[in-house]
Amino acid sequence: MTLTDERSSSHEETAVNPKLERKAHRRESWRGFLHAVPAYVYLIIFFVLPLIIVYVFSFASRSRTGRPELEGWNVDSWTRLTDELVRTIVTRSLWMAILNTVLCLIIGYQFAYWIATRRSQKVRSFLLILVLIPFWSNFLVRTYAWRMLLDSDGYITQIGELTGLWGRMLFTIPAVFIGLLYGYLPFMVLPLYAAIERIDWSLVEAARDLYASGVKAFLRVTLPLSKPGIIAGSILVFIPSLGAYVTPDILGGAKTTLLGNFIVTQFGAARNWPFGSALSGAILIVMLLATIVYFRTGGRTV
Amino acid sequence: MQGQTAVGLSSVTKKFGEDVVAVDDVDLEIEDGEFFSLLGPSGCGKTTTLRMIAGLEFPTDGSVRIFGEEMGLRPPNKRPVNTVFQSYALFPHMNVEDNIGFGLRMQKVEKTEIRTRVGETIDLVRLTGLNTRRPGALSGGQQQRVALARALVNQPKVLLLDEPLGALDLKLRQTMQLELKDIQANVGITFVYVTHDQEEALTMSDRIAVMDEGKLAQVGGSEDIYESPSSLFVASFVGEMSFLPGEIAESGSVRLAGGEVVQARTGSLAPGTSVTLTLRPEKLHLYGDASEAPSGRNAIDGTVTRKTFFGGALSYEVDLGASGSFDVRVENIPSMKRWDVGDKVVVDFHTEAATALAE
Repeated sequence: MTLTDERSSSHEETAVNPKLERKAHRRESWRGFLHAVPAYVYLIIFFVLPLIIVYVFSFASRSRTGRPELEGWNVDSWTRLTDELVRTIVTRSLWMAILNTVLCLIIGYQFAYWIATRRSQKVRSFLLILVLIPFWSNFLVRTYAWRMLLDSDGYITQIGELTGLWGRMLFTIPAVFIGLLYGYLPFMVLPLYAAIERIDWSLVEAARDLYASGVKAFLRVTLPLSKPGIIAGSILVFIPSLGAYVTPDILGGAKTTLLGNFIVTQFGAARNWPFGSALSGAILIVMLLATIVYFRTGGRTV
Repeated sequence: MQGQTAVGLSSVTKKFGEDVVAVDDVDLEIEDGEFFSLLGPSGCGKTTTLRMIAGLEFPTDGSVRIFGEEMGLRPPNKRPVNTVFQSYALFPHMNVEDNIGFGLRMQKVEKTEIRTRVGETIDLVRLTGLNTRRPGALSGGQQQRVALARALVNQPKVLLLDEPLGALDLKLRQTMQLELKDIQANVGITFVYVTHDQEEALTMSDRIAVMDEGKLAQVGGSEDIYESPSSLFVASFVGEMSFLPGEIAESGSVRLAGGEVVQARTGSLAPGTSVTLTLRPEKLHLYGDASEAPSGRNAIDGTVTRKTFFGGALSYEVDLGASGSFDVRVENIPSMKRWDVGDKVVVDFHTEAATALAE
């Protein structure tokens, strides 16, 4: 080490220059911002702008042919949201989404628990990959595959007829639930797995040591500690289930009107863009508020 | 000691898989009211033994009895024992009070009684005022106390402690050692204490079982273990020890590799047996000249080859040439004579200070 080196290092030790520090901080945050620019640009162009357009259209009026006119601004579309018809559809969609979330939770929790409690890391990784495999092919393709299985000459229908337990399932409510459950189960399993895998098993042992039965130890320790996973999984399943369009359409035969296909109708056959926009916009706001409230109250984790 | 057996193990063996034998044919009787330590290096099977008493593992073979009752495959929640875990295993989603009251709630104890007993135990472990804190907001020492309170509040017949002080710093650990000992004396519960820290075991225990590779190496009182180790493993694991190779010259004396014959405890070892002479550093004395040493004792010539300062004591490494070398520990007191590296010295020790152990 040379003399000058020594001097500079001792200088740094004795006097930390606050101005220099602030400058370094600013440079650091500027560099961080630069990294985020592509994502910001992408989100603004493809997410924020379209969203603004949706909200603008919800206040627009329609010409006699149904073409949206960017004049004669009004809130008619928004007041229509309280219509009897809308309420029925919203209630129906809500029930469907809730039921699907609960089904996913019950089935997904057991599966995630089973994966998370495998001793070998290799086995766990393998089982997780199995959960992810369906994502390797297109959702639409997979839904059509279910259509084949559930149709009159499909395997599932044949099994049902052989055992006399069920008939043709396609275009029924159970078919829609099978499709939804199939489609959204991975979104429940993955966050649940992450939460359960993180649990310190000595806590369960401690509970057992403190006179808790296996069931009690699960209810008092494992379940509360997997709450972050339950919440994340439920949100990830509930939100897309509420607006599900492809599954009810293809497997349910669009016989029952749900929020998803109702909105599609507004932009298509009904030629009522403002109303469709108001519907979409309202769902987004409600979902956002519900998610925030959920995280603020029950979502606070340990 | 009431003389009743609190925990009895008979030929207990625990295998993990086919080849890993964690605990190998262990027989042990722990008496009621005793502070009993399982001491050994990591992987010696001490924690596994504790977990088998708790019911968190089941023996592959043999039987575990608690106050005469065969435990068999009885789950942990049906055993009259509680455990203080090494990692504390405090429930992060419950506050101090709820953590401590967990066991009582599970036993469906009446609410008012739970409140009284939890309150008393919080005072006992000196956590007063922290009732509603979450474990995450407590220091390591405080978490340790919660873990202890959570087990003690149930008034178990036997309290199992798995290296409970391992994560604490030295000063805190020493304080907690004394405190644990006091608590044990107050509540009168049998403590089974797992540790790899021999000093901790010596300080706290009524009796110690030294374990090595799944087997019991020696069981006895603290002084017993320290003064009369039964094997080289115990001798080297417990306390500081120097070793000199040699063979039994005749009953009561050992010939060292360099030819010196010293008087030592030889037990019933036959002449000619090759042995290791074990010497505690603090039981040796250094003199400048053979005439200064008390007569009729062992006096061997050596050279100081290293000097280490500990503050309260000094340690000298003394080389005996062909016979090997050993350490001498001298208390740092005003009258102490200091030596330097290279000094010729005479090492003297009492017959009782040297024990010959067969390989």
